[in-house]
Parts: sequence; C-alpha cells; structure tokens
Amino acid sequence: MAAASLAAVEATGVGYAYGRKRVLDNISLRLEEGGMFCVLGPNGSGKTTLFKILSTIFALQDGEISIAGRSLREFPTPIRRKIGVLFQNPAVDMKLTVRENLRHHGHLYGLESYDLEKRITKNLEALGIEDRGGDFVENLSGGLRRRVEIAKALLTRPSILLMDEPTTGLDPAIRSELWSIISGIRNSRKLSVLFTTHLLEEAEPADEILLLDQGRSVASGPVAELRSSLGKEYVRLGTYQPKKLAARIRKEGEVETLAEPASVKVLPVRGTAAQMAIRLWRQYGKEVTSVTLCRPTLEDLFLQKTGRPWSSTPGEI
Amino acid sequence: MLKAAYSLALREVMRFIRQKNRVIGALATPVIFWFVLGSGVGRSLLEAGSRTRIDYLSYFFPGIVLLIVLFTAILSTVSIIEDRKEGFLQGVLVAPAGWAAILFGKLMGGTILAVLQALAVVLLAPYSDHHPDLRVIVYLVGVISVLAIGLTALGFLIAWPMDSTQGFHAVINLFFVPLWLLSGALFPAGGAAEWVRVLMRFNPLSYAHNALQGLLATQPGMPLPADLSHDFSIVIAVTLVLVMACAFQVSRRS
Repeated sequence: MAAASLAAVEATGVGYAYGRKRVLDNISLRLEEGGMFCVLGPNGSGKTTLFKILSTIFALQDGEISIAGRSLREFPTPIRRKIGVLFQNPAVDMKLTVRENLRHHGHLYGLESYDLEKRITKNLEALGIEDRGGDFVENLSGGLRRRVEIAKALLTRPSILLMDEPTTGLDPAIRSELWSIISGIRNSRKLSVLFTTHLLEEAEPADEILLLDQGRSVASGPVAELRSSLGKEYVRLGTYQPKKLAARIRKEGEVETLAEPASVKVLPVRGTAAQMAIRLWRQYGKEVTSVTLCRPTLEDLFLQKTGRPWSSTPGEI
Repeated sequence: MLKAAYSLALREVMRFIRQKNRVIGALATPVIFWFVLGSGVGRSLLEAGSRTRIDYLSYFFPGIVLLIVLFTAILSTVSIIEDRKEGFLQGVLVAPAGWAAILFGKLMGGTILAVLQALAVVLLAPYSDHHPDLRVIVYLVGVISVLAIGLTALGFLIAWPMDSTQGFHAVINLFFVPLWLLSGALFPAGGAAEWVRVLMRFNPLSYAHNALQGLLATQPGMPLPADLSHDFSIVIAVTLVLVMACAFQVSRRS
C-alpha cells in the first residue's frame, strides 16, 4: 500500500524572537521516519534556537511542530519520552563516573534499576566504551565524552535523535569516527536523526538539508537535488590576480567568470568543463597556480543564494 | 518524579563529597570562626568587666550552627548556575520529569548537606557548655531541616535567573552576611541600637537563631523553651513562602 510516509518531525512556519529581535522566520522542515535531516548554517544563523524549540527547551512561539505524530504545543511531555537529545554543550556531570551519569539519566526518565543496568551496559557496548563505565567523565577525552553523551541520549530508547553541533571541538579524525558510530546505530535501531552543523562536509550524508542564514531558510531539499539545481561542473583557477585574470578570460571565450579571493571560477557556456579545463591550462598555464575541475557544492549554493562566500561568515573556532 | 528528584539530590551529595576542599571548607570555616571570634571577643569582654571567657564561646555557638546551615544551603545552589552554564541543566529540562524534579532534587540535596554538617558541628556542643539530650537533638534536627529547606529555596530563587557565579557570591556578601549578623548570632538584640533592633525583629533568621539558642540551652530534664513553637512557626511559614516562590519561578518556561 502506498501510504504517505510518516514524518518523525514536521515543522511549518516556525518563528522565534528574543524580545524584539527576530532570530527565526517562517522555517519549515520535514524529517521522514528513519531519515536523516541536517540543519546547516553558519554561526548565528538560528540553528541552535531552532534546535532548542524542537527539543522542548524553548516554548514554540509562531508556527506548528509535530514530533512523533503529536503537537509540540499541546504534548511536550509525551514528546520528551520519544526524543533523545544531544546538546552542543556537554550535559554530563564531570564529577560522576560514566555509569553514574547514565544511571542518573535513567532515573530522570523513571527507569528501574535492573532494566536500567542492562540498558546502560548495552549502550556502553554500542558506543564502544564498555570498559570506561567506572571512569570519571572529567578524565575522558573529548571524543569519548561525546560517546558518553550519545549513550546517554539513546538510553531511553528514543525513536528520534536530535543533535546540536554534535562534533563541536573535535578534531577531524575523531569527528569521522563519531559519524560512523552514529550511522551504525541509526541503521540498527531504525532511528530518525536530525542534527545541526556549521560544517559543510558534515551535511553531505544527510537525506535532506535545510540551509539557514540569518534566521531564514535559504534552500532546502535532498542534497543531490540541491546540488544539481546549481547547474553544471566548472573550473577553478588558482591565481594571485583573480580580477585581472577573470577579465581576460571573459573577453576571450564563451564563459562566465567570477573572481574570488585567490581564485577565478569559470563556468562553460558551451561544451564540458573538462574540455574547458584543458584549454584554460594550455592558454593560462603560466599565470595560474592550479586548475581544478569542480562539481557544485553546498558552498556554491550558499554563495549563490546569499551573495556571500561561506567562509566570510563569522565562523566557529 | 520522586525518583528523578531523589537522583538529583543524590548527585548533589556525591558531588559535594567528591570535592574534598568543599567538605573541609564548609566544616572548618565556621568552626575556626567560632573558636577565634569566641575566644578573642571573650577575652576583650572580660577586660571590659564582663563575666568569663567561656560565656561568649557559648553565646556564639548557636550562631555558628546557623552560619553552617546558611552557607551550606545557599552555596549548594551555586551548582544551578554551573549546571546551566555547562549544559547539564538542559539535559534535565528535556526529561519528562521536568522542573518539579529539578526544584525538589535541589532542595533535598541542599537540605541533606546542610543538616548533616550542622549536626556534625552540634557534636561540639559540650565544648561550648551546651548539653543537648536526645529530645533536644530531635527538635534541633526538625528546626535545622526546615531552616535548611527555606535557605536552599532562597538560594535557588536567587541562583535560578543568574548566569555567573561571581554575581551570586556578590549577592551572598551583600545580603546573606548582614542577614546573619542581624539574627542575634553575634550579639543579642537587647543592647543594640533601636534601628538595629527593628531590623532584627523583621529578620526571619532571628527567629531561627532564637529557636536554636533556646533548644541548645535546654539542660537535660528541663522543659523546652516557651517561645519555641512561636519561633518555629515563623520559620515554617517563611520556608513555605520561599518554596512556593521557587515553584512559581521555575514553572515559567524560559
């Protein structure tokens, strides 16, 4: 039967203001059951505010949200039983051991001791930290602490996992390790996942993304669709004089050029980008430092929609 | 909800015990205070023609018990500010148990710590010429518990909207230290200036101090102080108001 698929999270027209300052405006999104959704945006784009509304910390002001089929406005408490939440700031107690933290969390959800201990063991195993149960959290590395947080969020068997910048402050190797753990758990538990990030590459594995900028939705949809909407492949030339080179290339060929810091973006009007790359290399080889054949990325999408390069936005350390 | 509150209270106690400096600071400071001030002032008063040295050590003792309860209860609520900063509080807020668990967990945790420490100091009572019997101890536990709940609630009320622990310490120095000074802990109302006496009459801690003083002075076999029920009712009433104020404050979602 081709029934319409169920939404784990559905938001329509969500808006939020701190006093007079409006930080979210008319945001809509839909996370399919079992899907993975990414809210992508630079620092200050409203990601965390949206996250706090979804995780029931902030009261919903404008718009409607339903989570696990129930209205967030009317049933925040039953919704809390359905969601596992991973905050940007650590929500574990450093002075307690890993097991004590999880036990405490279980008590907050009314779990009983025998069942709780079994669940704790199971979740520590799933995260590969079963041998760390007795360690104080303050003695663990950043990556291991994050794993404790995930084990904690999953302890109550949520059907939806919400994560706010889950890899903040971790180095790239630990980051990718964490993502592979998350995707493993997602597959084995039929978990719907919604996460926020300011890292473009982290958004790629999501089924769908919502690109936020200054509290507004800039673009949304499946990553592949968004990318193809940007059009064809292009060539990027590394150079020390982008403006001068861009002007010359534009004069000579049937191309569009765009001077960027330390590079020129060249889009073919006719023919393929690969052919053009070879031509450009032959013609301007001495003036450029590199020739790169590129597929449109989310970075390009952001540039196209906002007129600003991604890196010009105040980034996070 | 009860389980969640219990778990939060247990966490509070465990955090306290694991930070050894906190245990030492909380117990030793008031005792040193008592001993130095008690002995020092005692001697000065002796020179001024007062009676004996032991008198002031003895007078000061209930005030020290009060100080312990005050400091432990109020300082236990600093953790609310830390929890908010570190993100721990968010994790509790999204749990189904919600705000009621947080409030009662914190009140319980602060109260347990304050009562245990106050009782540890009460063990020193014989050295200050107080000799409480079992009956008096039971009443002491009652008064100290209610007082501790009230003071933890007061700390909670102040800490909840704050985002810096420095600010909280400033409030303590500005507000709580005078409250304690004007409770009769350091000097009796009798000989004080008129305006000080008025302040002391409106200070709820005065009644707590009076109750503690009366109870501690009760010798084995003697009847309980006559104004105990009056003082204790005031402490209970103020505590109830403070707890209700906390509930009101926390139940409003931020």
